[in-house]
Amino acid sequence: MLDLLVIGAGLTGLFAAYTAARAGLRVRVVAKGMGATHWHAGTIDVLGYLPGQERAWVADWTQAVAELPAAHPYRLLGVEAMGTALDEFQKLSVEVGLPYGRAGVGGQNQLLVSPVGAGRPVYLAPMAQQAGNLADERPLLIVGLSGMQDFYPALIAENLQKQGHRARSVTVALDLPKGQANSPLQVARLLDLPTAQERLVEAVAGVDAAGERLGLPAVLGLHNHCRLIAQLEEASGGGTIFEIPTLPPSVPGMRLDAALRARLDELGARIEMGMEAREVQAVDRRIQWVETETSSRPLRHRAQNYLLASGGILGGGIRGDHSGRVLETVFDLPLTVPQERSQWLRPLFLDGRGHPIFQGGVAVDAQCRPLDAAGLPVYENLWAAGAILAHTDPIRERSREGVAIALGYAAARQIAECSGDV
Amino acid sequence: MKRVETEILVIGGGATGTGVAWDAALRGFRTVLVEKRDLTHGTTGRYHGLLHSGARYVLKDADAAVECMQENRILRHTHTHCIEDTSGFFVVTPQDEGDYPDRFAAACRRLDIPCAEIPVSSALRREPLLNPRISRVFEVSDAAADSFLATHATAQAARQAGAQLLTYHEVIGLHVCGGDGNRTVSGASVLDMVSGEEVRIDADLVINAAGAWAGQIAGLAGVEMTGILGKGVMLATNHRLTNTVLNRCKMPADGDILAPIQTVSVIGTTDERVTDAEDLRIEEWEVDLMLAEGDKLVPGLSRSRILRAWAGVRPLWFKGRSEDFRIERCNDARQMGGCIVRGDSRDAPRSLALLNHQERDGISGFLTITGGKWTTFRLMAEAAVDEACAQLRVSRPCRTSETAVPGIEGHYWLGQRLNQVEDEGLQKELICECELVTRSMLESAVWDNPTVTLDDLRRDVRLGMGPCQGGFCTYRAVGILHALRAAQADVSDSDAPQRSPVIDPQAAVSQPNLLLREFLQERWKGVMPILWGQQLRQERLDELIYLSILNADHLPACE
Repeated sequence: MLDLLVIGAGLTGLFAAYTAARAGLRVRVVAKGMGATHWHAGTIDVLGYLPGQERAWVADWTQAVAELPAAHPYRLLGVEAMGTALDEFQKLSVEVGLPYGRAGVGGQNQLLVSPVGAGRPVYLAPMAQQAGNLADERPLLIVGLSGMQDFYPALIAENLQKQGHRARSVTVALDLPKGQANSPLQVARLLDLPTAQERLVEAVAGVDAAGERLGLPAVLGLHNHCRLIAQLEEASGGGTIFEIPTLPPSVPGMRLDAALRARLDELGARIEMGMEAREVQAVDRRIQWVETETSSRPLRHRAQNYLLASGGILGGGIRGDHSGRVLETVFDLPLTVPQERSQWLRPLFLDGRGHPIFQGGVAVDAQCRPLDAAGLPVYENLWAAGAILAHTDPIRERSREGVAIALGYAAARQIAECSGDV
Repeated sequence: MKRVETEILVIGGGATGTGVAWDAALRGFRTVLVEKRDLTHGTTGRYHGLLHSGARYVLKDADAAVECMQENRILRHTHTHCIEDTSGFFVVTPQDEGDYPDRFAAACRRLDIPCAEIPVSSALRREPLLNPRISRVFEVSDAAADSFLATHATAQAARQAGAQLLTYHEVIGLHVCGGDGNRTVSGASVLDMVSGEEVRIDADLVINAAGAWAGQIAGLAGVEMTGILGKGVMLATNHRLTNTVLNRCKMPADGDILAPIQTVSVIGTTDERVTDAEDLRIEEWEVDLMLAEGDKLVPGLSRSRILRAWAGVRPLWFKGRSEDFRIERCNDARQMGGCIVRGDSRDAPRSLALLNHQERDGISGFLTITGGKWTTFRLMAEAAVDEACAQLRVSRPCRTSETAVPGIEGHYWLGQRLNQVEDEGLQKELICECELVTRSMLESAVWDNPTVTLDDLRRDVRLGMGPCQGGFCTYRAVGILHALRAAQADVSDSDAPQRSPVIDPQAAVSQPNLLLREFLQERWKGVMPILWGQQLRQERLDELIYLSILNADHLPACE
């Protein structure tokens, strides 16, 4: 029998599975789809904005967590536990050859260039994005690739200028194949090939960068971008190269996802895709099995413990219907969301307070166990983590990865302890 | 102050006003049209897209029915590429009992409106999602119309005939001269909304085709003209449910039309009397009613993914005076806070109304054309310009019914855009995968039409109208527009050929952030009433893109 069945293969599920597997647990991950890691920018955003203080970005999240509402998942864990989890993630990133780094000491955030030229508050940045830190005073040269979609260097440079940064833009020819879309993902795949890499190195060598940092779209290969960046830096005469994330699907997100999967594979933890959890059996407050739908037949997964990491509305862990009912899709857990559709949304899309429907979720205790209306754990052997949790709006707060890593780690540690034999 | 002289000034850039400008210019009048926003910004761009056969009104409003039937035939020739020849069914569902179907068929015969009863089995073969419990089906010559494309084509035809169309020009005053009994409208003062400049337009005749805003315009000349405004709510599904227009075979009521429009199906509409043409609120009960009624035509419609809800305000006209209709605050909880006129606007006639203000109010040089349907816009224009000829004492026959507007050959068909993309290998050019909008389509829309907001481009090329509701293309369109206009600003100093003079080359360059946020909000407005299930999930992805990835809510302030 499994020690742990993880439902969901986003960053929460994969990092929790890694944590548990490393602790010696027999782990399986089942998921319907690929998880939302592919959609985001590949950075680790821990806390960028506080509710009610949307204008000013959080400079140091360790200082800001105390200002979050008491029920926020971060408050359940505390800064120290969060820091431990993030340190573990950082160690793992180095181990798997996709090193993430912080900009300063403690919980200091950094502002990285967004694909429209705004500053994104990020805690840990992949090596490829670190030189885009806007605190660095070196001027920026945003480099577009002619014929590639979804990247607008002049717009980025102009917005950076408006914020007081020295920035300009240039577009270089990469001789991209005609007759295909040349989306960021397609270009990244192309740049895994040595011939295309050579052409890019040549093109970048021709750019006259006067002490500027060069910001390229995050397409510098899926498999070996660190080497390509080193080559580009050499070609540009010792300059600095960094990547700027693009619209989904996100190349940095895919790199992170692939690295985690590879590590889980080494640890012997299986990840089963295309398996939507659709039925559960519970006896006396203990989950007995979870049944998933596959293409050929239903499959029952029996485990000592279960971790729900199926995501929020975006990930598919929570679904709202026309009647105003909001459901947790696997265990039908109670949710802290308004059950009236008229209460779900605010009239302005960009309202800094966010939309109530996206702020609700599964309420958990300090051990990450889902609670019922009476405040007691719904099941003895069920945990929940990540975007499915209540009292957080990870997209508004820019806390997606922080919530995934810190809560996923905490839940996995709790499960390891409960499993006793570790 | 800038001055413009013309013979005919048309107010309103919807289907009717554009049609009037086209008709007047074809008859050789010097013509200027002013529209306070973009063409089709009003009711024209907010209707369900049905080219009526006339059958819907045979028992309710025979005049409107005959007008629709005649215009249906004409528009198929003049605006061929704007129309999809879908055909239409009037179906008798289990809820539609009584003698209506027989009376309906008899009235169609009497009014000479083509209508053939077909076996239910063959209707179900053609439309497998149609309610299998229907008992009778009548086929009529309804069709689907692209009101955005049609108005732009009419506008293009008007320009080719010499008319000048000024969008983003709002009328701020009408010039009335002469004393009591001898008053004449001699022109208008308009405000150029982009430059802020005031323009004085002198005209021999002013034609008010401002649709739902016609009462406000008439008020500027001191004319009391309280028309009746009927707000209709419509929903679009994320794909076509049927390829044929469906009507319930019963007295026209709420939610009894399902029309295939390009890539979607549109269910409509409600008919709520409102006092303000800009009162476009969508209430929860209206959405629920559309879904419940839609299920009677296509069972399961309410469980399909709804993309968007919107409302348009019909300008309706009774022959009586406005005193007949008392305006009072509404206490009905359904319509909280709304100021509504009592009674049912569904009962107002659908036929056109030409108001001769000389006879009616003692003011010459001023006509109002209102009422009617989108289907009858050409006829409304003809009636207005006929009267204009009479007032200007010239005799010039109408030519619009024999003149085709510019456009491609043949009717629209569903695979048209995909066919073009595949034939010409335009996959790499796509900036809106949902609606197959290419970069060159977007760029030519910018060149051909004055473009102030991204919503103007949506009306031109369907940008952002598909399932992701602007999730991907808003960012792309801003980036492309920014690059395009930066390039244009660079060459405008040199002696480069003049493009459309109305384009503000600086707007998108200086305010791309504003364009982006405005369009996001514009899209949000229409998804809010229908956000549940997969579309709610879609919006969360759009939040991820615009908040987490782009950080668009923390871009430098827009001045």
